[in-house]
Amino acid sequence: MESLVSLNCAEQVVCSSPSPNASIWQDILAQAVTGELMAAMNYSALSTICDDPEEVADALEHAQGEQGHAAAFAAEGRKIGVDVPNNINARYWKRIREAFMRSIAERDFMACLIVQEIMLESFAVASYTRVGKAAPGSLGKTFAAIAAEEEGHIEHAMEILRAERARDPQRFDDKVYRLHLEVMNTLTEMVAKECRHGQCDLCHSSCVKPSLSEVGLTTVELRGASLQQYLKTLDALGLPGEVTLQWVAQLPV
Amino acid sequence: MGRAAASVTALERRTLERRTEVDFALIGHQESWRSAADVLAVLRGAERARLPDEEIREIFPWIPPRAVCNVEIASATGAKARGLYIDCFIPPDRLDCDYLHDNVGRVRAAAACAINRGARIVSLGGFSSILIEGNFDQLPERSGTVFTTGNTLTVAFIVQGIRKMCALDGREISKSTLLIIGATGDVGSGCARCLTPFVKRVMLCARNAERLRTLAAELEADGSEVEIATRLDQLPFAADIVICAASLASPSLRLGRIAPEAIICDAGYPKNLNPRGDMTDARVFFGGLGQIAGGLSFMPDFKGVLNRHPFLDVAHGCLLEGMALALARRFEPFSQGRGLITRERVEEIETIATLHGIHLAPLFNAEGPLEGMRVLTSNKRPEVGFAPGNLK
Repeated sequence: MESLVSLNCAEQVVCSSPSPNASIWQDILAQAVTGELMAAMNYSALSTICDDPEEVADALEHAQGEQGHAAAFAAEGRKIGVDVPNNINARYWKRIREAFMRSIAERDFMACLIVQEIMLESFAVASYTRVGKAAPGSLGKTFAAIAAEEEGHIEHAMEILRAERARDPQRFDDKVYRLHLEVMNTLTEMVAKECRHGQCDLCHSSCVKPSLSEVGLTTVELRGASLQQYLKTLDALGLPGEVTLQWVAQLPV
Repeated sequence: MGRAAASVTALERRTLERRTEVDFALIGHQESWRSAADVLAVLRGAERARLPDEEIREIFPWIPPRAVCNVEIASATGAKARGLYIDCFIPPDRLDCDYLHDNVGRVRAAAACAINRGARIVSLGGFSSILIEGNFDQLPERSGTVFTTGNTLTVAFIVQGIRKMCALDGREISKSTLLIIGATGDVGSGCARCLTPFVKRVMLCARNAERLRTLAAELEADGSEVEIATRLDQLPFAADIVICAASLASPSLRLGRIAPEAIICDAGYPKNLNPRGDMTDARVFFGGLGQIAGGLSFMPDFKGVLNRHPFLDVAHGCLLEGMALALARRFEPFSQGRGLITRERVEEIETIATLHGIHLAPLFNAEGPLEGMRVLTSNKRPEVGFAPGNLK
């Protein structure tokens, strides 16, 4: 698959001979790189609706950071002898991007933060942490390190969102629910046990999900950890647990 | 993005806090996969298909402890109290010792949730009472929230149930041999203190011999005849009243030698008695349950799901204790520690509960009601089978 975005890596990379599970890691990395590139694009778009120069600078800095994560993942691919594709127009990512861009079109800064920092980053932190534990050597370390960095992002955004919620909790919660329906249905389909609606447009041949157990991962674990992280993040924002539990229970399986 | 994080005014914070405060919280867990599936079915809503069993087993362990629904209870005096039911989401097949550390962590998180929501009193149901039966250091930081195991009211309802069952069957309690399984636990020892003076003899069975000896000495000091054993097959007499109050991970208890037509109170959560145990002639009932005359409601509607009983407005004594104390505006840690339940304390909580219309529930067992009144006929009770293991 041809990458839509090229990732130039200044770092000198020494390629080892392909690992036996290289093709599985290639597909996992393709999702990670695409997610990071989309995050970079989301932050760039966010900078265009910020009024405060400080906020613009912050958003652009975040965009650069996410671009760096994508490059780091791509470099890890080269180390195990695979070329990592990316495709922000892939089935699920495209839908998520469209949801984010609707918030940009509405110049809704808080909605953008909710999608990127609460929903997408919850999934990134939880799944990278799991992959970080399962992946060997520097690949695992890179996933773990990026998971920790993304967690830092969430904390920063949480302060802003908590303050926003305190102003009008009901209005804020209604907005989160609307975005939840737009984005979380897609994210949970992505981590469902099977891709029932066809290819995700990122796996290099057949769907990688059935092979995840060969590298010590399962979709059950990735889905469970991601939804758990999402619920905990919503708890930390102050949304009532009985409400968010219902939201998550109603997601597709 | 820094400027967007404007500080929350004190007024806004106070308004928010007031909105979320509740009188009581009930902490519990599901005792069977069937009940876990029913909880998720309610959360998904009637318009969505029930999740397949396999999905439930995969999803459930990942759910962090949290409030599941709002609860409202009405007193016979007309007073009302508002609360929350918080589930620990302990997978029903992980209640044994292998998962102790993880489960204690879940109960602590549930307790933190109750504290964050401003609950003034918290009742700890089932396994979760471990947190304050001698493990006070496990409780999260708290101010303005007190915890009770609720065990005193559970004991009250077990004792009342035994007396009622004896009366229904025309038995003389004073001529009976009482066996208590799980006798050194908080509930078991409380039952021993309440009933020993009124029976012919008492037999205590538990795993810890030292604790058994201590309890036996206490009871013997009052002139009672007491036998102790760490195994059921060591007991010298056939019991004709049995209280099962052991902490078991699943209904696995087989009683062995008991008197024909013995009265057996299964007060465990999960249930103690193995449903395949040979107790053909025994009179089994589920003990420790109370009924609220003023009514109990859930939002969303979990009636018959969280309280899986064949009668309306029935709940476990341990949970009802917190609710009764909330109605009485007595926000105090009524039951804490282990082995501290006395007859006087049982009488005190009975008085509080009675004042607010909380009484012994009609007796029933796995087959259904043992007496007829206010049987739950609503169709809101989804597929609840009268099988041991899913009736709490």
